[in-house]
Amino acid sequence: MTSKLAFRVLATLVAFAVLARIPVGFDVGFKFDAALAVIWAFGLLSLVLLTGYVGQISLCQATFSGVGAYTAGMLVSNAHADYIVAVGAGVAAAFVLGVLVGLPALRLRGITLAIVTLGIALVFDRYVFQDHAFEWFTGGTAGWRVNSATVFGLQVDSSKHLMGAYLILLALFCVVALLMVNLHDSGAGRRFRAIRDSELSAATMGVNLTRYKLLAFGLSAAIAGLGGAFYPLVAGSVSPQPFWLFTSLQFAAIAVLMGVRYVPAAALGGVFMAVIPDVLTRYGHGTFHGHPYDISYDWFQFAVGVLLIVQLILLPDGVWGDIRHRARHAISAARVVTARRMKVA
Amino acid sequence: MLRVRDVTVRFGGITALDAVSLDLNRGEILGLIGPNGAGKTTLFNSISGVVRPERGSIFFEGHSLTYAPPHVRARRGVARTFQNLQLWPSMSVEENLMVPMDALGGRNTFSDALYMPFSAYAERASMERARAILHVLDLDRYRHTPAGDLPAGIQRRVEIARALAMRPKLLLLDEPAAGLDAKETSRLAELLHTVRERFHVSMLLVDHDMSLVMRVCDYVYVLDFGKLLAHGEPAAIRNDPKVLAAYLGEESKKLTGEVEAAARARRDERPLLEVRGLAAGYGGLEVIRDVSLDVKPGEVVACIGANGAGKTTTLRAISGMIHPRRGRVTFAGKDVTGRSAERITRLGLVHIPEGRGLFPNISVEDTLRLVSNTAGHDVDMKPAFELFPRLRERRTQLVGTLSGGEQQMVALARAILSRPRLVMIDEMSQGLAPTVVRQLFDIIRVFREQGIAVLLVEQFVESALDVADRAFVFEHGTIGLSGEASELRADRKLVAGSYLGTAVEDGAAIGVANGNGNGNGHHLDPALMETVAVRLPAKVKRALEQRAEAEGRPAGALAIELLQQVDRQ
Repeated sequence: MTSKLAFRVLATLVAFAVLARIPVGFDVGFKFDAALAVIWAFGLLSLVLLTGYVGQISLCQATFSGVGAYTAGMLVSNAHADYIVAVGAGVAAAFVLGVLVGLPALRLRGITLAIVTLGIALVFDRYVFQDHAFEWFTGGTAGWRVNSATVFGLQVDSSKHLMGAYLILLALFCVVALLMVNLHDSGAGRRFRAIRDSELSAATMGVNLTRYKLLAFGLSAAIAGLGGAFYPLVAGSVSPQPFWLFTSLQFAAIAVLMGVRYVPAAALGGVFMAVIPDVLTRYGHGTFHGHPYDISYDWFQFAVGVLLIVQLILLPDGVWGDIRHRARHAISAARVVTARRMKVA
Repeated sequence: MLRVRDVTVRFGGITALDAVSLDLNRGEILGLIGPNGAGKTTLFNSISGVVRPERGSIFFEGHSLTYAPPHVRARRGVARTFQNLQLWPSMSVEENLMVPMDALGGRNTFSDALYMPFSAYAERASMERARAILHVLDLDRYRHTPAGDLPAGIQRRVEIARALAMRPKLLLLDEPAAGLDAKETSRLAELLHTVRERFHVSMLLVDHDMSLVMRVCDYVYVLDFGKLLAHGEPAAIRNDPKVLAAYLGEESKKLTGEVEAAARARRDERPLLEVRGLAAGYGGLEVIRDVSLDVKPGEVVACIGANGAGKTTTLRAISGMIHPRRGRVTFAGKDVTGRSAERITRLGLVHIPEGRGLFPNISVEDTLRLVSNTAGHDVDMKPAFELFPRLRERRTQLVGTLSGGEQQMVALARAILSRPRLVMIDEMSQGLAPTVVRQLFDIIRVFREQGIAVLLVEQFVESALDVADRAFVFEHGTIGLSGEASELRADRKLVAGSYLGTAVEDGAAIGVANGNGNGNGHHLDPALMETVAVRLPAKVKRALEQRAEAEGRPAGALAIELLQQVDRQ
């Protein structure tokens, strides 16, 4: 177990070192994409916990991100709070909302739970983030502008210090991801997975369903909110558009596409969600062998749909799940080969 | 140890349990048997906390369990297994065992995720205990295998291991032999004895499989129609005429000569339905294997056998409701193996499933009109109403508001309107009063007169053999016996054997237990009678109770008298 843990820490450090270097040579646009990728990766990671581990369905994860983002934005703009405090408040707000959303999940499951969470996403999208009644929270139609913020007392300007925000986000993501992987094998993770596999026997074997389901929803919302809370710092403002209903649906689709049971799949999905649309809008039009072509952002949605169908048929465990299985096969095959060589020698 | 007193449970108007009492002593393996619908599962569920009794009380080690929620029962030391394998399939066997252990030791989510020292310690402790249990149950090999990938017999063992991980004092086993073949069942019996010796648990066992109950249990309670029919040691139960009657129905002597003649005439005809080497199941369970049977045109064939022997599954596999895994089904000369259910229905094979498969919110008339969809033309409802005059009176009533017998009539009427060549009826008489059942069997005779073949799955064996030309007796997912219905009826012993498992020898186990009991019996201290009474070996206590019952005196008084005799000597 300890060697496993050491391996995980090492792998996380290597991943951090590599990922931290990647956006350096690119322009501001791609640096923004990189930071956005981590924010979306948090959203996907929240689904790994909720759907992958505990087996609950949620179609309102972007709402949790949005609540984190607006809470942080409000505190920084209005109260000039330190950004770290604002993030903490955003995470706490998302956690509370997550527990509240978890309440119906105590009774509902499957399609009804999906509809309820979809309704919650819709309500927040239309009647909270975009409504005048909640201007104190949303900052009106223009949203909050966060041009400068203090992080640990240091002045950070979002347009100039995008890399700094990216590194903080990435470091946090690595820590949370490591905790998530450990959670999977821990006692609590076992109880979560027991609920996923059979609620009935989990209850009769002494697992407190109320407590663990609410905890799962709360933690999941907190993870999504943690990513969302950094959105104002990265983008310089908060607006309803990134956290609308459709983002929630995209979270669900891409989490399944990449492999909803695996933590690294969340990182993969975050990159996919943030970078591909930008690449399409930048390089999606031009001429190819003299034929002009135009691939707009709309094609991204289409591609996600097609990929999802292909994945469900060919890779039922998601893209990362497939990579993992192949890697494991390769490793065990290599072991057999080396063992034979040893015998021969 | 466990004391159930006058427990009554009602579901709507049906009394599922009527003032049932039961005693389970420490170290005892108690069997609970009875025909389908006798209330075994209801009693089991009210002990494990799924069902709340309307009246009566349940005491476990002096604490009332009558209204305790499931997790409180678990803490007191009552664990259960499930009939339909409820392991966590994607988790490894070891993890399956560790979840209930953690639940006992109050673990903290955050310290778990961070690998705090306490969690690491608790983790190692429970892992070691899990390994110890797995070792005793001979499951070491499968420690890291996902539970869902194991065959059903091993999953059963894992489920018992998981229940043991809760450190229970009483283990409730819900049909542990369901879906196991004869060999696996006998291994399970050995295993249960091992478990009792190694983990010091008492057990309550509900099962249809008599070979298991007779071999394993020290004492057996028999339920019928929600009432206690008999209780006693396995050997006595097996020969109890009341029990035999409950399982097989009343013995009937009448033989109808014309049926005989008709059957003989039909013997050479080509079969309408032919099933060869059929195997089918659900998920990891293979419920039936190597089932071969045939039905000739216009013949009535009965499938009988203990519950869980695979009768219903066979019907489902024939009619296309589930996909057969191996084997071939031929109907009217066409190979229909694995065809979709509605295409098989169009060929003239109608399946009336268990529970009748009706639509409760549709009127009788409309239900019968639905037949036109499958028949492809408008249906004349006259023949149905001629056969069932009562349905004409109730034609506008919703099916859900009819009585059980009337609903079965609707199902039969619907079947006959689609002009079938073969009707398969699953548990036609389930939950119906005897008079209604008699009427329905008369209808089956009418079916035969009209040249419609019938394949029956029935729990009322005698009535079924009465009406049928031939019968197949199911045992452990395959056909154990087959023959002319009249022959089988004459050979009552043979059929009883497949229900009550007469072929099992269990003398050795009882002998050993008796030796134990005598050894401890002499060292009783009369002054401590009240506390010692609970600690008495089950065999001694049971004998005491039986003698007290026979003499009509309280067991305590009898015990003190006996002890005084020992003192004087």
